[in-house]
Amino acid sequence: MTRKIRTRKTRRLTLIAVAGCVLAVALGLVLYAMNDTIVFFNSPADVQAKNVAPGTRFRLGGLVKEGSVRRGDKQHVEFEVMDAQSSIHVQYQGLLPDLFREGQGIVAEGRLEASGLFRADTVLAKHDENYMPREVADALKRQGHWQGETHPPQQAQQN
Amino acid sequence: MMIWVILMMMTALAVMAVLWPLSRAVAVAGQTDPNTQFYRDQIAEIDRDRERGTLLPEEAEAAKAEAARRLLRASGLKEGEAFAVGEPALRRRRAVSTLALSVLPIVALAIYGAYGSPHLLSEPPGAQLRQGAGNGAGNLDLGTAVAQIEAHLAKQPQDGRGWDVVAPVYLRMGRTEDAVKAYESALRYLGRDATRLANYGEALVISRDGMVTAEAQAAFQEALAIDNSSAKARLYLARAAEQDGQMAKAKAEYQAILSASPPDAPWRSFVQDQIARIDGNQGGPIQEVGERPDANAIAGMVQGLANRLDAQGGSPDEWARLMRSYVVLGQRDKAVAATKRAREALAQDAAGLRTIDAMAQDLKLTESSP
Amino acid sequence: MLVEAGHFALALALGLSLIQFVVPLWGARANDPVLMSVAPTTALAVLACVGFAFLTLTYAYISSDFSVLNVVENSHSAKPLIYKISGVWGNHEGSMLLWVLILCLFGGVVALAKNTVPMRLQANTLAVQAAITVAFLLFILMTSNPFRRLVPAAAEGQDLNPLLQDPGLAIHPPLLYVGYVGFSISFAFACAALIDGRIDAVWARIVRPWTLAAWCFLTLGIAMGSYWAYYELGWGGWWFWDPVENASLMPWLAGTALVHSTVVMEKRDALKVWTILLAILTFSLSLLGTFLVRSGVLTSVHSFAVDPERGTFILGILVIFIGGSLALFAWRAPLLQQGGLFAPISREGALVVNNLFLASACATVFIGTLYPLALEVLTGDKISVGAPFFNATFLPLIVPLLLLLPLGQTLAWKRGNLLGTVQRLYAVFGASILVVLAVLAFTYGGPVLAPFGIGLGVYLVLGSFNEIVTRSWTRGKPLSVAWIKARGLPRSTWGTVFAHAGVGLVVLGISATAWDVESLGTMKPGDRIGAGPYQLRLERIVPRQEANYREDAALFRVDRNGRELGTVESMKRLYVTRGMPTTEAGILTFGLSQVYVSLGEMQPNGSVGVRLYYKPLVLLIWLGAVVMAFGGALSLTDRRLRIAAPARNRAAPPIAPVPAE
Repeated sequence: MTRKIRTRKTRRLTLIAVAGCVLAVALGLVLYAMNDTIVFFNSPADVQAKNVAPGTRFRLGGLVKEGSVRRGDKQHVEFEVMDAQSSIHVQYQGLLPDLFREGQGIVAEGRLEASGLFRADTVLAKHDENYMPREVADALKRQGHWQGETHPPQQAQQN
Repeated sequence: MMIWVILMMMTALAVMAVLWPLSRAVAVAGQTDPNTQFYRDQIAEIDRDRERGTLLPEEAEAAKAEAARRLLRASGLKEGEAFAVGEPALRRRRAVSTLALSVLPIVALAIYGAYGSPHLLSEPPGAQLRQGAGNGAGNLDLGTAVAQIEAHLAKQPQDGRGWDVVAPVYLRMGRTEDAVKAYESALRYLGRDATRLANYGEALVISRDGMVTAEAQAAFQEALAIDNSSAKARLYLARAAEQDGQMAKAKAEYQAILSASPPDAPWRSFVQDQIARIDGNQGGPIQEVGERPDANAIAGMVQGLANRLDAQGGSPDEWARLMRSYVVLGQRDKAVAATKRAREALAQDAAGLRTIDAMAQDLKLTESSP
Repeated sequence: MLVEAGHFALALALGLSLIQFVVPLWGARANDPVLMSVAPTTALAVLACVGFAFLTLTYAYISSDFSVLNVVENSHSAKPLIYKISGVWGNHEGSMLLWVLILCLFGGVVALAKNTVPMRLQANTLAVQAAITVAFLLFILMTSNPFRRLVPAAAEGQDLNPLLQDPGLAIHPPLLYVGYVGFSISFAFACAALIDGRIDAVWARIVRPWTLAAWCFLTLGIAMGSYWAYYELGWGGWWFWDPVENASLMPWLAGTALVHSTVVMEKRDALKVWTILLAILTFSLSLLGTFLVRSGVLTSVHSFAVDPERGTFILGILVIFIGGSLALFAWRAPLLQQGGLFAPISREGALVVNNLFLASACATVFIGTLYPLALEVLTGDKISVGAPFFNATFLPLIVPLLLLLPLGQTLAWKRGNLLGTVQRLYAVFGASILVVLAVLAFTYGGPVLAPFGIGLGVYLVLGSFNEIVTRSWTRGKPLSVAWIKARGLPRSTWGTVFAHAGVGLVVLGISATAWDVESLGTMKPGDRIGAGPYQLRLERIVPRQEANYREDAALFRVDRNGRELGTVESMKRLYVTRGMPTTEAGILTFGLSQVYVSLGEMQPNGSVGVRLYYKPLVLLIWLGAVVMAFGGALSLTDRRLRIAAPARNRAAPPIAPVPAE
């Protein structure tokens, strides 16, 4: 009987130890990944205010400046992303999302170069009839720049 | 009234669903207990496994003993559970019946009353309202609907879809200038696509009483640049050529449209009429393109033009067109009056006066004539 | 008029659910069978009411009744019929109604399972189920009412979001919801067991089919959604680690763990407390997913604060049900009986490891999904946690699990022999290593890790079927005997094998993405572009006008080494009512591989941007998921899982002694 209790106890302890190990590994991975893989969101004004170092990977969000889109060959695109205060020149190669157009909000992910040019490898436009990625909308609202869209946006997308 | 009967019947059925099991005898208690059944099945399965050789006899014995122990325990539990009967049970059942009879109708009616639209029940159903909106009888409803959209757009002017929805309604109501503005906003917020541009151009044309102005022409050309199959834009451009006096070009355009459009296109007969007209007298009143408005609509447009010219003045051509429109509508007295007003309005404009005189002569509207 | 009747039916369903919540609980407490028997009939009545309400809303959509606000906002009279119907759940209000309808549907099935579920368990379960129904009916009626009227009626609707006008999206939400909501049954059974303070093997036997069915649907739903994103968004990607996707992945991971732990509980009467907790957590994650997707908190924390009504309501539901059930668990779980014993090296032990890894993986997804929201609320900093994070956390936890999978599947119950198990898998190990070496040699200079992925996939598929082979084939006997023996194996064994092989197929498909080829170009008719072994020629660009959209369709001719294989069409569409552009990718399938072409912008000079992919073996990703769901369904049809149905006495051929299954 005592032996049975002891095995129950030791087995429970092994179980807890193994579980602890796996959870510790998981936690370690999460902490490691948090340092390494997380990307911040900045508006052009934030980039200036925070003095973002060149080479840092981040997401840049704002409105595509009217008349700034220039297309080269091989699907090279250049445009300016602006908010109420400033604007940043962006270079990108690839297909632009359907909802990309001048005067609309977009989010570009990439790195800032020393020259102040932002080289994007991804350009996102929210798939939503308001053409406004949420980070951009929030940033613009903070700056008191945009009053649109008060009805709750629909997220029927995937659920 | 009918609907209330239906709602009452639904409530009654729901109450019945609760009362029915309460009214039944305790026959339900005779259910075989699945717990004991489960262990019996398990023992049977162990036996089968042993026969098939998947279990060694001694293992099977041990498993069977364990299952039997559990079976005993389960049936022991069952005996301990005497089902409640007698006076307290009856009282409970009565309480539940009262609950069902009172709570159900109260909750349903309160919730429905708070969030539903019971006032709509006695009115004609929505489908009829909607049909009414299309014809003259529904103008009142259309008016309120437009007012609602306008109120919404006043708060959210950048809602392009709202403008897109309201523009054709304005056009139908004869508020052509508003329609033009609405399409302009829609183009600004939703982008310049071919269909919208063509609609915008059409609104411009209608607001100029059928004249395809340079502005409208630009819109149609832009629409065609995006989508060269837009029949509407091509029709209006053909008509612009006609208005410019380039009959040959207009005819060629019409024929091109005809050859490009499918055999069942709704505008075919209209285009054929236009070609026939050009071939024939090369004149006559120009009709509206697309859906030809009925006489009322034309009269409304003419009235709109007259009001605008009276209020804001206008070009000699527009005055001339007004005069001509009245003649076409058979209202010579109004045409004469319009001529007179035109002369007053254009008193400073010698060239304008000449246009008016020429038109008056054309239409035999000289004041001297009776 | 019909719409108003539907609205009233919904209010009536609320009243009925209240009764279904209170009376059976009272009956179970007082041990009064009559009161308990109120549960099934009211559950069916609630189902009838909600079903009727759903039908009236569907009718309003089909008949384009623009006096209903919901129809105006999401439909258009020119829309094809199928999208009028799918439009019912293509929006917030309608999809919540579908959610509740499925909830009631499950309640109705439990109500009909009269002879298989013990009465007290049934009464308590239906009462918990009714509590959820009450909460969500209140939510629908008060904040998201699909029956709101528009007076006067609108002349025309505003059309459904064009992205949702797609056959994939017509069936994706119902599948997903059956999955999500199916876990509510496990949850309700768990709570019922806690309320009653009693849990035994029969409980697991009842709960397992429900969980398995929900899991199958969720698997299919997620696969469907992934395929939809793949072909509709025009990016060629199939999984984005988007919060909306994670919202469905978390319940899936927890549900997978639950499916496995109920096996232990059913067969060995162990892991009871953990299974109960897992059932609660799985449904809690489903609720969390509903909250994330439905409250708008993902779209914008800001809009959540501005329009807090819906968000706070669901948050309230979340807190009450998760908090309440966990409190119930903390209070009652110590009363539950201890489970059976097992050695660490055993099938049970392997399943515990499975649960451990799945739960940890689920936790990392949970953190990655919620951390940005928490950070934004706390500090206002906006961050995006994307694929790199999940690749760094999720994959290291899943890969060891997959490596252990065939081992665990081969281990015996109660006390296993690790060495013997490994020996049985020698052939599988050898074959997988050979595959890795072959692929490495064949694709020398290509991706380095991918061949190992391929090897892992092969190892999983072979390892799964190895079970069938070792159990039916003996050296020296003809194959036909082995075949008869294999056919005689229980369907649950076959189900396990197929589900695990499905995992292997998914791994194969994902690994093969490393060999994707992408090319970009600006093309005019007559131009050529190539990807992998395929060449595409742009033939022409044709404008077209359809009922509710306009499109430019680009027609490509595909050939391989000069041999013509067919044509493929990719479209750039503009939905007129919403003025919204979409891209329709052109996909040509060769076996399991695909050529995928999507259009960019039309240039003024008549040329068009083109993105072309060659995706080898990409179909395996979704095919694997379908095979997984098929395995689950196969397991469901096993008689031994059906409750209290007397097992068929089949004339089974003698089988060599193998571990009890």
